Amino acid sequence: MTTQVAASPKPRRPQRQWAPYLLILPSLIYLAIFFAWPMVRAVRLAVWNETALLTLREEASADSSPAGALPQGAQVILLDRQSNLAADGGSLRTGALTETWYRVQGNDPDGNAVDGWASESRIRVRRTDEQGAPTGGTVRPRIGASADPLTSIFAEPNERSQVVGRLAASAGVQIPEQAILEVWFLIQGEDGAETVAGWAPSGNLQIYSSGEIGRIDQGDTGQFTMAYIQRMVNDRFFKPAMITTFLLMVLIIPVQFVLAIIMALIIQSQIRFNTWFLAVFAIPLAASDLAVGIVWYSIFTQGGYLNSILQTLGLIQFPQPYLTADTRYWIIIAIWLAEVWRATAIVMVIVVSGLQAISQEVLEAGEVFGAGLWDRLRHIILPLLKPSLQVALILRTILALQVFAVVIALSGGDVVTVLANETYRQYYTLRNMNVAAAYSVLILLISMVSAIIYLRMVRSNEEAAA
Amino acid sequence: MTSSAAPSQSIAQVSPEMARLRARARRRLLLGRAFIYLAAILLSLWVLAPLWFIASMALTTPAEVRSYPKGVLPFIPFSFETMRFFLQSRGIIPGLINSIVVAVITLALSTLIAAPAGYAISRYRYRGRDAYRLSILAVRAFPVVILAIPLAVIFISVGIFDQVYSLALMHTALTLPTTVLVIGSVFASIPYELEEAAKVFGCTPVQAFRRVVLPLVLPGIAAAAIFTFVMSWNEVFAAVVLTVQNRTLPAQVLVSLQQSPEPYKFAGAFFLLLPSVIFIFIIRKYLFNMWGQISK
Amino acid sequence: MSEIMIENVTKRFGNFTAVDNVSLTVANQEFMVLLGPSGCGKTTLLRAIAGLGMPDDGRISIGGHDVTYLAPRDRHISMVFQSYAIFPHMDVFDNIAFGLKMQKMGKAEIQERVKQAAEMMHIEQMLDRFPSKMSGGQRQRVAVARAIAMQAQVLLMDEPLSNLDALLRLEMRAELKRLLAELGATTIYVTHDQIEAMSMGDRIAVMRAGIIEQVSSPTTIYDFPANQFIGGFIGTPPMNFLHGQMQRQNGHSVVRIGEFDLTPQPLMQPLLASYDGKPIVVGIRAENMETLSSPAEGALRASVLVVEPLGSQNLLTVKLGDSQMKVSTHPDFTTQPDADVWLRFPADKIRWIDPDTKRALYPNA
Repeated sequence: MTTQVAASPKPRRPQRQWAPYLLILPSLIYLAIFFAWPMVRAVRLAVWNETALLTLREEASADSSPAGALPQGAQVILLDRQSNLAADGGSLRTGALTETWYRVQGNDPDGNAVDGWASESRIRVRRTDEQGAPTGGTVRPRIGASADPLTSIFAEPNERSQVVGRLAASAGVQIPEQAILEVWFLIQGEDGAETVAGWAPSGNLQIYSSGEIGRIDQGDTGQFTMAYIQRMVNDRFFKPAMITTFLLMVLIIPVQFVLAIIMALIIQSQIRFNTWFLAVFAIPLAASDLAVGIVWYSIFTQGGYLNSILQTLGLIQFPQPYLTADTRYWIIIAIWLAEVWRATAIVMVIVVSGLQAISQEVLEAGEVFGAGLWDRLRHIILPLLKPSLQVALILRTILALQVFAVVIALSGGDVVTVLANETYRQYYTLRNMNVAAAYSVLILLISMVSAIIYLRMVRSNEEAAA
Repeated sequence: MTSSAAPSQSIAQVSPEMARLRARARRRLLLGRAFIYLAAILLSLWVLAPLWFIASMALTTPAEVRSYPKGVLPFIPFSFETMRFFLQSRGIIPGLINSIVVAVITLALSTLIAAPAGYAISRYRYRGRDAYRLSILAVRAFPVVILAIPLAVIFISVGIFDQVYSLALMHTALTLPTTVLVIGSVFASIPYELEEAAKVFGCTPVQAFRRVVLPLVLPGIAAAAIFTFVMSWNEVFAAVVLTVQNRTLPAQVLVSLQQSPEPYKFAGAFFLLLPSVIFIFIIRKYLFNMWGQISK
Repeated sequence: MSEIMIENVTKRFGNFTAVDNVSLTVANQEFMVLLGPSGCGKTTLLRAIAGLGMPDDGRISIGGHDVTYLAPRDRHISMVFQSYAIFPHMDVFDNIAFGLKMQKMGKAEIQERVKQAAEMMHIEQMLDRFPSKMSGGQRQRVAVARAIAMQAQVLLMDEPLSNLDALLRLEMRAELKRLLAELGATTIYVTHDQIEAMSMGDRIAVMRAGIIEQVSSPTTIYDFPANQFIGGFIGTPPMNFLHGQMQRQNGHSVVRIGEFDLTPQPLMQPLLASYDGKPIVVGIRAENMETLSSPAEGALRASVLVVEPLGSQNLLTVKLGDSQMKVSTHPDFTTQPDADVWLRFPADKIRWIDPDTKRALYPNA
């Protein structure tokens, strides 16, 4: 069963043996980056919660020593609040509470020049430059009789720092600089039986409206978790997707094989135009699966070809609905037909190249020694095709796990769903990378089991050929 | 002394029994042939009819597309209006451009990386050659598309998410194993003796490759490249996962499918099918290089 | 009784006529060899007998039954194929038993027959082996064992030895000959190897371009070829042909070849009389000439071009007049290129060929 022409590779001189390694190196590197690494990442996404634990700090700073950790989702009491200059300006967590402080320059009521920092809550920005950065403003007046009419200006963007001066309400100021502060909270919560307290950045917390309690939204330390896999398994679409995927496999593959073998036998029977028949049978090989889904949609949709033909023949009075939630089996039938239409070609090509490897004389020997058409098929052709058929079978099994666009085109993706669809739904609609990754890993796992069998087979074939 | 052969005493008198047998045998032969042709034609119809339907939907007026019952006779009236409607829909032309860009980058990258590897697996015998071939086969059989999910996460963190070229990187990973195997079989079909002969007649190894091997393998490699193009053109899962703004054509059609009217869908399907069907006819000679490989 | 009668069989492939109105009768238990160069139609004819390709015209009967349009399995024949056509997915036992199983024979009997056939071919030790693990010679034995296990009355062999190396071929040739004599089946054996044909066949049918040129025993074909083609095809080296002109001298027909005259034997005289003044071709085999190193009465002078010492003989290429010929001499005969030798043509060994029809002329034909 060789399609690869013998032309046995000749050993080259030993000193040149680095050449092949050099030649295959780019492809190996490429596959390592774009196949092996993503695969590892997929597994990690599926079972590793990157934000499982939040480390609490002794002080309101990422550099201070840890004071314990709380799991994601733990309820906490907010004890104190502090704003700090973010470690480096850009790397603020999304969702972090921030305060902006302006460096202001103005004159106090006594006419002394004041240069220091004030919180954005104290300054109304009046002028900005082209980039939108504030350049000047006025001090906000305080409301309420008991309020201090003057606003303190600090040496640093921090309320605990030294007061360098005080400005009157509505005093004009220049703003040469601004700083963004990250708010930290001193929180206290339970980790099992233990009570832990410490500082945590607001970005990792979800603060309830009262402002006094909250929960840990995201941790900063990863931990193994089955939660995503559980969520996948408990998802209401998981079971239907599994069942449909395997049901489609069972429905599609046998029909495909029968059709493919018939096509291959026709091609091999040396009739006229058989190269044309081959090209026609091979067309679906290059067809986009999305397009094929739509093609079959055009047949099964209510105003489509199936109803048109049936009505023209007078077999029905009104167009029948097929692709609806109430006629799920019709959707399955449509997907089945579309997939048989689309993917039979590859099985056919594999079977044809297997058939070509069977010598004509062997078949004639069968004929001379008394085997009729059926006996020849059963005792000679099929056994000799076995390796090709096995390979095609595994390949088809793995390809069947990737059925995606056809299902979307024919069912919209909900009414009937398959594993690849759920991967997409979790990723795209539900924005849940981890569960999507769990689906990916599941599909890869099923494929891997098939691939192992496949590799075994290839090896035993090569041994048999040796 | 016997010289000539023919004991032609009876010039095959046709007995009625023999005539009957002969007629029966002829009939059976003819019947068998007819049966094969019938099967071939039926199966061709099975393949061609859906294409016929979609073509006739795409090449008529939108009003005709919406009509019911549809006539089986196509192209009445023949019109590019549906196609125009589709091509003028939002995101289609940019999608088309993106698709072509992605496919061309994929084709170039894939061929560039795969050609040396294909040469190595067909021309050298070295430790690890079988392991390499087996792993290529394994990757080839894997549902690589599914890796689009973790790749999306990686691309986001690296900051190349939603880029046409990052999708091309993914597609290259998808097509690379096939391309390696196909190019390998193309090289294997050129006897190494030719290269040796070229060297004997005075070529350097590089010259031998350029003047003798390259002209012979070029059509095969071109076929492989075309096939790579088609694979990238058709791919939709990774495309829809890895792009948001810069959708390729199939991704654009897929995400807008549920909100779109039927003329849009049908024209889209026809437009997606068109290049692949043309390509398959161009490269049909190489089909077995392409897929027969897998059963090795 | 399984006499094979082929009557006026014609087989065409498109415009090409592979077998052209051929008739041939193979007697019961006879070993008939179909001999010819490749493309002469011998395999096509064999396949028509096997039922692997219906003739366009004519009739084939085996043992008196018309089988022209029967399927191969209804003809009670057995066959050895050129490439052996061993089923690669079956072990040796299943290969040999295949035909018997197709006949729905009982298990015990199959066992017995397979054992018997395997013993005859000395492969009884390999019954559980697979063909992929066997050498060409062993596969050949399996192919023959499979054919003889059928115990069919008719055995067809399509160049069965052509894929073996020279030494093995020599060995199998003798073994097959012994075996087939033992079996007593009517055998048709296709080959392009004339030595194989000469050594094995009861009779040889020489084919060329879809036509049977001669059917005779090996010695007859060798000594009395029906035409120039057969003379040139059979024998190593092939028969020499010299172009001459018939003349009448002293009431005798004499052929003039260049500057020499040859006188035919009296038996031929009446036949050659009609060729007076006309060209004629003279055929003689290399080993039928007497070679002398000095001039002698009736000997023709030739100059030596090449000397090939072959051990059992020395083969000379000589130039006689305008023609070259091969002459075989005793190994002790010494000469050298450019030397002259003198050749004597024994009259009874000369064959006379009509240059137009290329047919050989024999007094009683």
